[in-house]
This record gives sequence, structure tokens and C-alpha cells, in this order.
Amino acid sequence: MMWHVRHATTYRYAEPVDIATHLLHLAPRPLPHQRVLAESLTCQPEPARVATGTDHFGNRVAWLFLDRPHSVFEVVAEATVEVTARALPDPAATPPWETVAERASREPEAAEFALPSPMLPPEAEATAYAAASFRPGQPVLEGLLDLTARIPRDFAFRPGVTGIATPVAQVLAQRAGVCQDFTHLMLCALRGLGLPARYVSGYIRTLPPPGGASLMGADQSHAWVSAWLGLEHGWVDLDPTNALVVRDEHVTLGWGRDFHDISPLRGIILGGGRHSLRVEVDLAPG
Amino acid sequence: MIQPSPPDEMVDGRGQVRPHWRRVLAALSDLPPDSAEGGLGEAARRLDRAFEEEGATSLLPGLRRAEPSWRCDPVPLPLPAAEFATLAEGLAQRARLLDAVLADLYGEQRLLAGRLVPPELLFANPAFLRPCRSAAAPPPRPMLQTYAADLLRGPDGCWRVLADRTSRAAGIGHAQENRRMLGRVLPHLFQSQQVRPLRPFFDLWQDALQRLAPPRQENAAIALLTPGVQHPLWFEHVLLARELSCALVEPGDLAARGGAVFLKTLKGLQPVHVLLRRMDGRLLDPLEFGGHEPGVPGLLDAWRHGGVRVVNAPGCGLAEAPGLTALLPRLCEHLLGEPLRLPSVETHWLADPDALAAVLRNPDAWLLRPAADGIAPAWRPGRMTPAQRETLLARVAAQPRAFAATRDLPPSVAPFVEGGGLAPRPVLLRLFLAQDGAAWSAFPGGLARVPDEATGPIGRLPRQALSKDVWVLSEEGGRIQGPGAPRQAPLPIRRAGGDFPSRVADNLFWLGRYVERMEGAARLMRAALARLDRGPLLPREMAELAALFTGLRHAGLVMPEDMPNTAASSAFQAALWRTLREGGTVARLFDEIGRLVEAVRDRLTGDMHTLFTLPLRAVRVQADAPQLGLQGLEAVLGSVLRYSAGVAGAAAENMVRAGGFAFLDLGRRVERAQSIAAQLGFALGQSASRIEGGLRLALELCDSVITYRSRYLGTLQPAPALDLVLAEPGNPRGLAFQLHAIRDLLRSVDGGSECELLPPAEALIATVEAMPAAVLAAPDQAAAAVALAPRLAAMEGEIAVLSDAITRRYFALLPPIQQIGQEYPGGGAG
Repeated sequence: MMWHVRHATTYRYAEPVDIATHLLHLAPRPLPHQRVLAESLTCQPEPARVATGTDHFGNRVAWLFLDRPHSVFEVVAEATVEVTARALPDPAATPPWETVAERASREPEAAEFALPSPMLPPEAEATAYAAASFRPGQPVLEGLLDLTARIPRDFAFRPGVTGIATPVAQVLAQRAGVCQDFTHLMLCALRGLGLPARYVSGYIRTLPPPGGASLMGADQSHAWVSAWLGLEHGWVDLDPTNALVVRDEHVTLGWGRDFHDISPLRGIILGGGRHSLRVEVDLAPG
Repeated sequence: MIQPSPPDEMVDGRGQVRPHWRRVLAALSDLPPDSAEGGLGEAARRLDRAFEEEGATSLLPGLRRAEPSWRCDPVPLPLPAAEFATLAEGLAQRARLLDAVLADLYGEQRLLAGRLVPPELLFANPAFLRPCRSAAAPPPRPMLQTYAADLLRGPDGCWRVLADRTSRAAGIGHAQENRRMLGRVLPHLFQSQQVRPLRPFFDLWQDALQRLAPPRQENAAIALLTPGVQHPLWFEHVLLARELSCALVEPGDLAARGGAVFLKTLKGLQPVHVLLRRMDGRLLDPLEFGGHEPGVPGLLDAWRHGGVRVVNAPGCGLAEAPGLTALLPRLCEHLLGEPLRLPSVETHWLADPDALAAVLRNPDAWLLRPAADGIAPAWRPGRMTPAQRETLLARVAAQPRAFAATRDLPPSVAPFVEGGGLAPRPVLLRLFLAQDGAAWSAFPGGLARVPDEATGPIGRLPRQALSKDVWVLSEEGGRIQGPGAPRQAPLPIRRAGGDFPSRVADNLFWLGRYVERMEGAARLMRAALARLDRGPLLPREMAELAALFTGLRHAGLVMPEDMPNTAASSAFQAALWRTLREGGTVARLFDEIGRLVEAVRDRLTGDMHTLFTLPLRAVRVQADAPQLGLQGLEAVLGSVLRYSAGVAGAAAENMVRAGGFAFLDLGRRVERAQSIAAQLGFALGQSASRIEGGLRLALELCDSVITYRSRYLGTLQPAPALDLVLAEPGNPRGLAFQLHAIRDLLRSVDGGSECELLPPAEALIATVEAMPAAVLAAPDQAAAAVALAPRLAAMEGEIAVLSDAITRRYFALLPPIQQIGQEYPGGGAG
């Protein structure tokens, strides 16, 4: 499946900003199942310096430095990517979840994602919530699929009731949130059981497939979970907002332990007073 | 269980004094009890006093006496040359090893893949700074440029490392200060000793820092980055910056531009090539680490791309983790291909079930520590209440992976002065190393200290401790030689003083203003007191007192209801005491002055710093003493005025004109100009028939009574009196003098005549010069003089506007930073 992504962000400041630095995770990460065919990054005003690199997690990062006064800052990231559907292992053939958890603490690729992270401290209630999906000896993927399906049944998708740093405990209390909240909830729940899980940032297809339901969280940044099935099967991506296994309708930007590791765009400004933010995301089949 | 008794540094097992102590003891016993250096107890007291005066002990700014803090015992800790050489070699190997471990964990992470380091030890460590690692590029090398270790001599007589210090190697300044003070207070001690000097190490370190600069960079600019005056180790930062001849900067002084780092100076941005950081890596760059700390946005970008070198590299604190300590012998074999020479005190990560079992069998023999945090104080199960102990051990048993255990060994003891004699106390040793790209060199000294009873031997350097100078003895007859002078390109001659940080100029400007404001307040108060309790007041005197009172109110020193009447002045006196005491207007000025003196400390010589602080402390003590009536009040005001004169004199005689002095003086002149304009306005603001009293007061406030009398004898007329206080450019208490000085200082600071601040300064001068001329030409001089009052009040405002313009132009008031962005997934839906 070919996708064209356009992600435009505009900041408007009440007073001119003298100096600004921005850190971007807006370039799709090349992966075995995701090829980046073309991409561009344009900014207005032109930054004095642009640096690019790779972060600790292997994601692509861009840094923009502006040192002239400006009242508006606009950045547009575009990319054409080809995503191929990944084969899902037979759930029943995956190892028991306890084995995966036991193994995780010793594996460099997984250990980091089984530990609590800055935005996701241990939360007993989340662990208890997940435990219902993981009976003793149950194959890990069976439990994961069950949990992925339960979250949207038990939690209402309701924008506006949570914010950027809403703790999982609050999401649990109000039984509502958006994709970031569901992702954080699931990460927190899995890590409580010792299962490694990553926060994935990206986009999801806008239009519903024929006869299917509309996919919520469309036309903007999306977030989902990547969970570890052990050395043999590696990672599988699960979307708890839409109760589905990620195949070829998601475009991946990158991943981290939680939102803070992979936030699409953040910055530090000097001056500026109050500011407003406008984001437009288009994901179209290419 | 019977603990073996800890070894004694001075005495061997048979009660004999060890050979390397004999000379030290001989020198100490030569301190005759009744001489000037008199006796051990007196030596200890003199050292305490010297530290207090130097201000090393009042680490926090302000004038209140800080709690007793770092003390230095008169008895040094000597280390024989061979013993020190063995320690230095062992520590150099550890430094190389830790640098290699850090480079791997911040780079390819082969140690994880090879299962030599359990991933959890890295990923659960909050000192692992992810923004400092790229999965695709190795970190800039070396990671580690300075290194320190806390050592302890165990019951078997061998030194072992208790903790590695890889983040900032704090304490070297304390060590240097101990040596300096001991040399000053007890010079006698050092005679006929073979003690290696410390200074060559700083030359070597400075040279090594220079060499770290990006290639092709002649005369690299080095800066020491401090969180600022509120930091507990501020004094050490000042001292290190001086020893290393580098700029002392705070995050707000720096800016990252184009992948490089610059210092904001009066002359614009000046490049900085090497940053010796004395703050947590997480505070360096708010863009990368989030949070609302100041930091320098873009600093990490510059570091990653080689635009600036940071020493030690951010993230190096990772290697302090006790959990890693347990792995060092194996890592040394693996990475360096050699056995670890200087072992650690036995330490285990409790993820190991055998270690956990051993620790739980006999918990009181261990120090329990967070596995990832080498700085956190350890728990000592043996010293806890049974309930605390049980809770701790339950936590350890439930989450063994979160803990490490280090054997709780009693350190060796060394003699400390107690009363008039010596008593043994346990002692820890901190040693320091730096590398120059090729090899690690050890600081030929160290910081010995008595571990805190409550917190034990682990943890960051305490706020207060009893310490010792460490003497590294040289081989008999061995020559002591420092490294050659660093090779540097010739510096261009500079005479302008614009190269220091704008913040320093700002602080000096306000120091000048506050000292002057304090002096002005004292003068006003004294003038008012002189008219009190002298019997009944004449109507003229009442009018003068009223004008003075207006001035006092204007300066915020008294409240309207404090106005004295002829009957009693006690309420007024009480008001003046209030303003001088804790929380009062003048007392707050004392505090501000103390804070600013501390903040510009690196710009003052030691003598100047003493002159700027000690008398102020004395004033403060005097002002807070129990009420002492009119005479007590006059005595305090006298001390304030003498302090102010001392500051002015010391500054004028010791500070280079175009540098810091210009801003100190600019502040003083601006403040004095404003207060003269205001006070003359009040003095003249009465009915024309009372003008003589007003003029008398004007002369008195401007300290010009004697000059007037010598020029004009007894006749008091408006035009000559006003000329003296307003327009005479040679009268240092007159208004014109201040304005001329402001104009000249602005010219010198700016190095030219293009400054946009010069025209308003010139206009002010023209205005004051015209005033007495207008009075002289007027038919009724008294009426014309009275008419000046509102003009002078307006002038006070104009000078304030000029002051604001100076602030804007030179001190680069940056708006606060804010975090933005954080569009978040799902947040915009619906």
C-alpha cells in the first residue's frame, strides 16, 4: 500500500519570538515493512540551522534553529511511503506470556520497554485491568489481542477530556480518552506484567474501508502499541483505539517508551507571549 | 561479631609511629603553646576563623552566618610517594575503564549484546541520558576527562574504591582551599617537608582542556558552567574558574547559534569552545530534556556536532551506579585486557540470588544502595530502628533488582585535633584525576574527610564536614617539576573591557546602585537624627525636618505616622531601627548587596571580597543588636557610611577602569544622581520665605557646607549655593559631577561616541548647568529657586529613564523561555 502523508504545523505568536529551537520526529522511519520513497521538510521562516540525526531508539530526528524575530512559524513535512502488511504469527503458537516476561529483562532489544518510563510510572490498577486478559500459561499474543479488543469496549473515545500529560490513573478513573491515552494505558498495563511494549507514533488511514466502520483518530497524529512476543516472533503492532492489528493502514514515524520520547514536534521559544497551534494532517493513498 | 579494629594511618600495629608521619608530628610538636602560632587547639581555631573570613564556609549568599560548614583540621594526612603512585595508577586504570564503558553504553552497546552488562542496569538508570546517545553515531570522545574516587582503607590495610565520581568530580576546589589556608595560617608546618605542590596539576588540567577544543582553534575559550550563586558548591566554582583561568558562566550567559556555543558579552557573542560543566547534564538543554530549568536550548546539538566540548560529557554520571561497580573486574578484563588493579569495596547487584541471600543472612554488615544511583546516601540496616530495618529488608527481598549492597567496612582512622590534643577519627579519601588525551594524571593531593555519622560514607559531598589537607610526599631528594607552559598562539592586545558576560555587568551595575542607595539612606537618616533631641526646634528647623522626612518617606524608609514632633522622637527612632533590622528597607539592601557581591565574586580579588563582605556582616550584627538608643543608631549609620566609603575606595584603587569598575561606578552615579535630584527637590519645595533653610539643607545633603563657607563666607544666597550643588562639575556630591561621570563612563564602555545614550546624558547636563544661571538672572532669586523644585522632581524621572535605557542596551534582558508544541495524538480530534 502506498501512502502520501502531509503534516503541516503552524504556530502563531502574540508577540514576536526572538529565538526558537524545535525538535521534530516527523520523518517516517525506514523499516522492513515500510519503505520511504520520497520526503521533504519545509519551514517558514527559513531556519538559520537545520540538523538531522538518529536518536537513541533509532528514530530520525530533525532540529530547527531560528534566530530572527518571527510571529508565525510553519513547518510542513511530506513523505511518500510504501507499507506492506506484516504476517501475524498464529496466536496460539506464541510462547506463554510469563516466558516472554521472564526473558524480556535479559534481552537488550526488549528490556528497556518492560520498565516504567517518565510518563508511565507503575500503576497497579492498570496491571490489574490487563491481568484479566492474561491467564496463567496463556500464549502472549492471545492475551494481547484480547486486551486490544477490550480497551475500546471499556473506554470511550472522547476528545477533550484528557490533555497531553494525563496520567493513566485518570484515564482509568474516567473511562475515556483519545488514542494517546489508550496507548499509554495499554503500555502501562503490559509493563506491569513485565511484558515489553513500545509507544508508536504515526498516522492512520482516514476513509473507512467499504462496509467498515469509520476509524477514529484519523486526519491527525495517531499512536498505538508495539508489543514484544519473544525473540522468535519479535514485535507486533496493535491499535487499541480501533481494536485492530496494524497491517498496512498505519504509517510509522517512530517509537519510544512513551509520548515524550517521540513527540512529533516540540520546541523552546524566547519571547512570543501567548501562542496558538494549528495542525493539519492528510494521509492519502498514493 | 567482633569487628577487626580499623587500621590507624599514623600508628602501626605495634604502636610505632609510621615513618612518613614522623616529620609531620615533629612540625606539629614544634608549635609552641604560647607563641603566635600557639598550640594545636589554637591552630584549629585560627583555621576556622580564616575559613570564615574567606567566606568558604558561608557558601550561601547573604550576610547571616551560615551553619558551621567545611572545616580543615590542622593535622594533614600524609601519603608516601610510593603508596600514592600505586593509587594513582590504579585510579588511572579505572578512569580508562569507565571511559570505555561509557563510550560503549552511549555508542554501540556491545556490552549489552555480549551480555556483559545486564540491560536493566543501563535502562533503569535515570543517569542514562537518552538524548546523549544516537543509535547511528558514536558519542564524542573522550566521555570522561575528569574523574574522582572516594577511597577507604579497609581492615587489611589496603585502599579500596568506595564510589566512583564520573559526573563532575566535585571537591577539588575544597582540597586546593585547604592547602592554601593551611599554608597561610600555619606556614611553619610546611618547612622541611617534601610535599608535592598542587598548582602544576591545574596548569596541566588547563592545558588538557585547551587541547579538547575543536581542531584549528588557537587560544580556545574555556568556560566553567555553574548553576549560579545559589549552588552549594558555588565557592568551589569560583575558585576553580580562577585556578583554570576560565570564564565563570551561568546557563543564561550562553547561547547556541549555528551549532556552536557563545557567551553573551557586552561586545556581542563570543565563542566558547570547551565547557567545564558543574551542573547536572539534564539541566543543560531544555529542548532535549524537557523541564522548565533554564539551560541552553541547542547546547546538545552543538556538543553532538563537535561545536563545543563538554567536560565531562553529559550522561557520564551513569558510571557511578553501584550495580555497575560489581561488574568492573570482568569489564576490565574484557575491555582493557588486564586485571583491575584497584578493587572496589565488595559490592553486589542483588539481582544475583546468591548475593541477595548473603546480604539477607547478615544485613548489618552491608550498606544498601539503589542499584542505579551512586550519589544517593546508603541505608545502614545496623543503624536503623527494628521497624525501619524490617521495612527496608522487605523491600530488598521484594525488589532485589533495585538494590546493590556494599560491605560496610570501618575506614581507617587518622589523628584530628580535639581540645589541645589529638584523637583518632575515621577518614575517607577523595582523589582526583584529569586526562590530557594521552594519559591520566592524578592531583597530587586530595580531600580527606570524616564521614558523617548519620548518613555514612556514601553520598554526595556534604554541606559541612571536617576535612584534612592531603600531603603527597615526594621521594627523598626527588625534584618537583611542573609541566611546561602550554603552547599557545600569541594573544592580541586588548584594552577594552567588553568581554565579560552581560550578566556580570548587570550585577555590578546593581551592586553600585544598592551600595549608593544604602549610603544615601544612611545620610538622610543621620541628617534627621541630628535635629532631634536637641531641645525645642525653631520653625526653620521644623521645616528642614519636614523636608528630610519627605525624603525619608520617598526612599521608603519611614511611614507617614512616624513623623517626629518636638515633644518626642522615640517613635521616629523606632522607625529607623525597624528599617535597619531584618525585613526593613535598609536591611533588605544589605541582603541584596551581599547577594550581588557573591555573584560577582569571580571578578573580585580575595582582599576585595573580604572588604566587601566582612564589614557588611559587622554592620548587620550591629544593627540587629538590642536597641541602643540614639547613640546606637548613630553608631550603626556611621558603620554603614564607612562601609560604603571602603567599597568605593577599594573599587577605585583595584579595579581596571574599562572593565567591571565602569559598571559598578555607573550604577553608583546613576543612583546618586537620582537621589540628589529628588532630595534637592524636597529641600527647595517650601515657601520662598523659608528658602534659606532649604538651601542650608541642600548644602548639608550634598556634603557641601564647608566648601560653601570657604568660598562665600557666611552669606547664603540661592544662586551660589545652587551652583555648588547642581552645576559645579568638580563637586563629587553635586548633580553635575554625577551626570558628567555617567556620560564619560558610557563613552568608555561603548568605546566610541556613537552610543545612543549619550544625547540624553548631554541633555541632562545642559539642564542642570542652566539652573543656577537662571536663578542668578532672576529678579527674585528665592522665588526662582523654589520654582526649581518640580523641575528637579521631573529630572529624577528622566535619570530613571536613562537608567532603564542603560539596562536595555547592555544587560540583554532576555524574555523567559517557554516550552511549546506538544501537539498530541488524538488531542485535536472532534
